[in-house]
Amino acid sequence: MASSIAFAAQHPPVRILIGKVGLDGHDRGAKYVAHVLRDAGYEVIYTGIRRAPEEIAEAAVQEDVAVVGLSFLSGAHIALFRRVIEQLRRRCAGQVVLVGGGTIPPDDVRTLKSMGVAEVFTPGTSARTIVDRIGQLLDKRQVA
Amino acid sequence: MNVDVEALIREAGTAGPGRIRAAARLMTIAEGGSGAAVNVLGKLAGAPEPRLVLGLTGSPGSGKSSLVDRLLQHCRAENPDSHIGVIAVDPSSPYSNGAFLGDRVRMMRHAGDPNIFIRSAATRGHIGGLAAGVFGMLKVMGLAGCDIVLIETVGVGQMEIEIESLADLVLIVLAPGQGDAMQFQKAGLMEAGDVFVVNKGDCAGAAEFHAQLMASVRLIDHDRKQRGPDSVRLVSAREDDGIAELLDYLDRRRDAEADRWLARRRTRLGTHLRAAVLELAQRRLEAEWSALADSDPVGRVLRGETGLAELSDALLRHAALNNV
Ligand SMILES: Nc1nc2c(ncn2[C@@H]2O[C@H](COP(=O)(O)OP(=O)(O)OP(=O)(O)O)[C@@H](O)[C@H]2O)c(=O)[nH]1
Ligand SMILES: [Mg+2]
Repeated sequence: MASSIAFAAQHPPVRILIGKVGLDGHDRGAKYVAHVLRDAGYEVIYTGIRRAPEEIAEAAVQEDVAVVGLSFLSGAHIALFRRVIEQLRRRCAGQVVLVGGGTIPPDDVRTLKSMGVAEVFTPGTSARTIVDRIGQLLDKRQVA
Repeated sequence: MNVDVEALIREAGTAGPGRIRAAARLMTIAEGGSGAAVNVLGKLAGAPEPRLVLGLTGSPGSGKSSLVDRLLQHCRAENPDSHIGVIAVDPSSPYSNGAFLGDRVRMMRHAGDPNIFIRSAATRGHIGGLAAGVFGMLKVMGLAGCDIVLIETVGVGQMEIEIESLADLVLIVLAPGQGDAMQFQKAGLMEAGDVFVVNKGDCAGAAEFHAQLMASVRLIDHDRKQRGPDSVRLVSAREDDGIAELLDYLDRRRDAEADRWLARRRTRLGTHLRAAVLELAQRRLEAEWSALADSDPVGRVLRGETGLAELSDALLRHAALNNV
């Protein structure tokens, strides 16, 4: 119990789900982001690759995460994100902050944002930027 | 935090669309260790109890998550109405306080099953293989209607056997190639576990390891836990070998010992509530100590202006006055 002291004075860590929907099986990017976020003090629930939107939503609710980050390479990001959002709402969890990552064209980034995705990180975004931006999104949520 | 704990408890105990969400929120509060967490524990003291609480521990990578995955599969196939909860604990980083919680990856085939509730937890500095909030999470699992709860702890080394105070039965999961039976005895696990599961039965050396363990168990005189040869199992989570038999064995034990387990859980409840209150008090004192830093308490002690006992009295008084 002695070493729980480090955690005593501060708020509990924020929980984030990182996963990959769709059919492609590359998870280097998702795993990298997961580790960057862990090193920034987040508790990252990693779900692995090829998840269905329903599975992501159910996991996000059970784990009570504040943020869901999804990585895409396959191109079906708009349809898949739409289903994740719908499934979250069905489970009374529409307020979860959504972020996306992957090779997503600028037009689609605008579409995703209009759907309620808070941020989209395209390849080459620095670890620093990702951490800072997620921190800002969480601060904004607290104020709201 | 202005959450209405009672409303969450009501919602988690009903069948609405927000049931899982409410239960999950309660778990977050329970693991947060604040005054609200102790409040949740108090309110859930009389909540419905799972029929079986199974603990799984054992060296890192021995296949605990894979075994949980198989147990889930068999339990659900045998009993389509059952609800099962999983609490999977992984370590927090002592450097960043963050954590990579990856046990779920091995269980994702159950992610679409509405009767399975999987929750990952980080140790957050807690020693003993569990997270401080696991007891509260277990109570919430019961409230949410789970008949069986499986708790996977972080891979144990010596003395990390706290799971014994939570589970009805503790499974020690081992794999060949991770040390011999001697090392295993040294680590103190021999006394801790109720059932020894040698996993990776499909790998070389598993049968020999299993035989060695059987011999060691037979050598224990006056075994406090009265473990027979049946309590040492050989399975392969990968090949789904020996899992059905393991589950049968666990079922038989439950039928024979359920009454005793329930009585034991009741006596443990007091212990856990006490620990939760003490932990909360400790946090309050920590916060108070930080607030005191301006008055340079250590310097005053070193200069002989105050004694340690006086200082701790002052700390207790301040913490009690600054009740939040
Ligand atoms: N050959 C073989 N490999 C297995 C078996 N069970 C699990 N594994 C493999 O062993 C590795 C670890 O499995 P996990 O289930 O993650 O083990 P764990 O004990 O939960 O690991 P930690 O939670 O990290 O301590 C994975 O690569 C599994 O695929 C088995 O029965 N046979
Ligand atoms: Mg595991």
